[in-house]
Amino acid sequence: MMYSRGSLVDLLIKSNVSRYAEFKNVSRILTYRHDNVEQVPCSRADVFASRQLSVVEKRKLMRFLTSCVEDTEEQQAYNGRPYLEFLRDQQLGDNLQHFLVHSIAMVTEDTPTEAGLASTRHFLRCLGRYGNTPFLFPVYGLGEIPQCFCRMCAVFGGIYCLRHSVHCVIVDQESNRCKAVIDIRGQRISCSHFVVEDGYVAAERKKVATPTRFISRAVLITDGSVLPTDSEQQVSMVTLPPIAAGSPSVKMVELCPSTMTCPPGTYLVHLTCQSTGSAYQDLSPLVTRMFHTPESHDQGKRPSVLWCLYFNMVDGSAVDCHNLPSNVHVCSGPDGELGHEHAITQAESIFRKILPQEEFCPPAPNPEDIIYDADTAEGDVLSRQTEE
Amino acid sequence: MHGRVKIKSTAQQEEEKRKEREKKLKVYVAVRDACFSKRKEGIWDDEALQLTQQLLSSNPDFATLWNYRREILMHLETVKDEDEVQKIYVAELSFLESCLKINPKSYGSWYHREWVSLRLPRPDWARELSLCDRCLSLDDRNFHCWDYRRMVVKMSAVPVDQELQFTDRLIGSNFSNYSSWHYRSTLLPLLHPVSPEPSSPCRKPPPTSSPPSPQTHSHRVCEEQLLKEYELVQNAFFTDPNDQSAWFYYRWLLGRAEREEMISCVYVSRDEERVAVAFSRPVNALSVGLLLVLDGQPQRVEWRSVHPRFKHSPVWICDFAPGTISDISNEHNLTVHWTEKPTRRDCALYTGRTESYCRDSATDQELFRSELSVEKTSVLQSELHSCNQLQELEPLNKWCLLTIILLMRALDPLGYEKETLDHFQTLRDVDTMRSEYYSDLCSKFMIENTIMKMEYAEVRVFSISDKKLTTLCHLDQLLLVTHINLSSNQLQRLPLEFAMLQCLEVLEAENNSLENLEGLYHLPKLEEVSLKNNKISTLADLQPLASCPKLKCLDLRGNPVTQIANLESELSELLPSVTDLLL
Repeated sequence: MMYSRGSLVDLLIKSNVSRYAEFKNVSRILTYRHDNVEQVPCSRADVFASRQLSVVEKRKLMRFLTSCVEDTEEQQAYNGRPYLEFLRDQQLGDNLQHFLVHSIAMVTEDTPTEAGLASTRHFLRCLGRYGNTPFLFPVYGLGEIPQCFCRMCAVFGGIYCLRHSVHCVIVDQESNRCKAVIDIRGQRISCSHFVVEDGYVAAERKKVATPTRFISRAVLITDGSVLPTDSEQQVSMVTLPPIAAGSPSVKMVELCPSTMTCPPGTYLVHLTCQSTGSAYQDLSPLVTRMFHTPESHDQGKRPSVLWCLYFNMVDGSAVDCHNLPSNVHVCSGPDGELGHEHAITQAESIFRKILPQEEFCPPAPNPEDIIYDADTAEGDVLSRQTEE
Repeated sequence: MHGRVKIKSTAQQEEEKRKEREKKLKVYVAVRDACFSKRKEGIWDDEALQLTQQLLSSNPDFATLWNYRREILMHLETVKDEDEVQKIYVAELSFLESCLKINPKSYGSWYHREWVSLRLPRPDWARELSLCDRCLSLDDRNFHCWDYRRMVVKMSAVPVDQELQFTDRLIGSNFSNYSSWHYRSTLLPLLHPVSPEPSSPCRKPPPTSSPPSPQTHSHRVCEEQLLKEYELVQNAFFTDPNDQSAWFYYRWLLGRAEREEMISCVYVSRDEERVAVAFSRPVNALSVGLLLVLDGQPQRVEWRSVHPRFKHSPVWICDFAPGTISDISNEHNLTVHWTEKPTRRDCALYTGRTESYCRDSATDQELFRSELSVEKTSVLQSELHSCNQLQELEPLNKWCLLTIILLMRALDPLGYEKETLDHFQTLRDVDTMRSEYYSDLCSKFMIENTIMKMEYAEVRVFSISDKKLTTLCHLDQLLLVTHINLSSNQLQRLPLEFAMLQCLEVLEAENNSLENLEGLYHLPKLEEVSLKNNKISTLADLQPLASCPKLKCLDLRGNPVTQIANLESELSELLPSVTDLLL
């Protein structure tokens, strides 16, 4: 999932990498309460069309959404106090408070007001750039995005050696620099810099937040949408507030076949939250309630789960590596956030360390502006980075 | 190629672009000249089609070329068989699509598309409709497309309910869209007409027989549907109260019924041997077949409006031949026929009476209340309640305030007078750019209220002092008024329509800003005029008064005109009938 005004979208546009990708708008924001899936009205058109809100609520919501963009003294008075308290004092009512906290700001009830407002504003800034929700989803899935960058890199000479994963690195003791890597076939590849995912870094060189932060995830294939409409091609972002005190709030994405991630007639569902237990413990109660699974008690009209997988992974944002050669750069794995701010910042900072003089992801030139001249081959800066 | 990428410098690129442009221009000009010369020679061949296509595909706004193309196509129609013509026109349509991509608002392309569509032997209207939908989804306010779509809908007879769903869809995606709301207002009366029997529920297509009587309103919508529309439009203006389109649609929903056309008043005066007739709307009496019958005898009279500048007027007058009705011991029966409608009004002038009239008063007709339509009071009441709710949330929203005022007027104009005045004051403050508009509108409503009060009191005295009036209106309703008091307002002129006050004897207009008296024109009974403390500055401003034969008293104190030397003698020359002059 990408914020339509996030740093990833900006980077895709700036670098022209976007030409290799296609996107679909997330078409609606949903939330789950009182055992019901509801659409969250967030754009002007949604508010207008919403059937759950009274006209007075509509006015209050619109007024809040337009007024919260500006910093006011009234807001500052709530700094440090919970966002929910601030909203309550705006006389918004339960409905609107729920939408604003869980689905628009996507924070918890005790998040401080300034943070809640900041994420509300971010949501609003993203709204309407490409559609009626703030999110984009890359057709064929998020895996497309690194591929697109790789493709751009390859067009300008980057080389990829597939099935040559790194077995070990050769480090010059004196300079504490990585001289080369040896792949699993025993081939030595010299390098001036080595960029690697944190999964390859030995545990003793990693400093992990204690206790280790994990992300619980579930992937489901279902036979219907959690909120069916006339159109089967909805891409939904579902925010699920904690179902009980102490349980995590869950973000769920439901993808329709036109995102090219699942066969016609099915939906692909991702659920993600910060772990409090195992993925199964964290997520299966919710899945059982929202979908029809073998464990479900009743036979209510819910989509059936055709296939599911629960797993936990380390929260990439919580890992720090140390004691590494100076020219070894570590990328962290995925984190639990919706956007990709961390990955982009990290990529840029690694790039800066390697090539302090160069612009990060400059706009790729148009094909007709490139001069093809074989004799002038010089320098191999752009081309010699092998990435995992 | 493993080298660092070399990129052309900006200067290089510019130079190349410039050359490219030059080349393009050369080709363009050459092709254009070729087209023109071919047209001059009257050549209508495939090559000409190709050349114009080449130019139009880069510049679809070249109207002459579209004309040429039409000439060629019309020629081809005469020499090819139907299948070939169909093929040519289908190709033309797909070419037009590429032109619309270049300029979606090209007049030439849309016009040509309509032309082609209408000539196509076997048109595919469904395809055209979906093209329109695609265009409108890209720009829902492309009026070229709206126009074209109207033609397509008409030609392919798309059912009205389907079209209504179409507006639902557009309004749902963005309700700031006049075109959609307006389209809705044309569809609803077709789909849910008001049924002749007030109690029966909505019926689908309008009954073909029995045209609606003048009292029912053919462009109105049945109440059941209206309630749904109120809900829809309220959702819009609660979501965004600053968006005008929804408010305008709301005004239409609440909108007034068409007034019944009728003769609202006939007045006859023995002294002047004159008849004055008032109509419910301005008419040209010379062309509507007006017939005056006196005691069974059609009269040959000359109708004239109250001022020669009015070709259309709600009030018309005519004089009998001298001696026709002057004998006070005679009784007369008058009938005015409006033969075109047809409608008529009778009036009897009894023995011993110097004047007589017969009329439907404004209160009888609920003239001012039906400014909004004749909804059930309960519906209007609940609409007022919603608007008041919104106003509480948005106390300074002008659209909301104005709508509240209108609703209050529809419900109880006199009862809500104070609130109305307060809301007008707020409106003037929050929307200073239109404060004059609000002042005029407020004046209009105050005049309406005063007319109602006068009629309830059954008097012929119209008194509206100290109400901040900035304009005068509804003067046709004051045909019978003998005394008018306009003092202490903000009037700057007595407009020409003022001449409709055919019975006026006394005019009080102190403490205004009057500088123009053109409406005091041939008022046959006017005797007394007080213009104290106004802004009359020249003798010429007083000229109209010379046309009022019975003027005796004139108060001009506190006007700049009194500074003129010899004023008194000048005035006695200008207004010889005046005996009582205050300067």
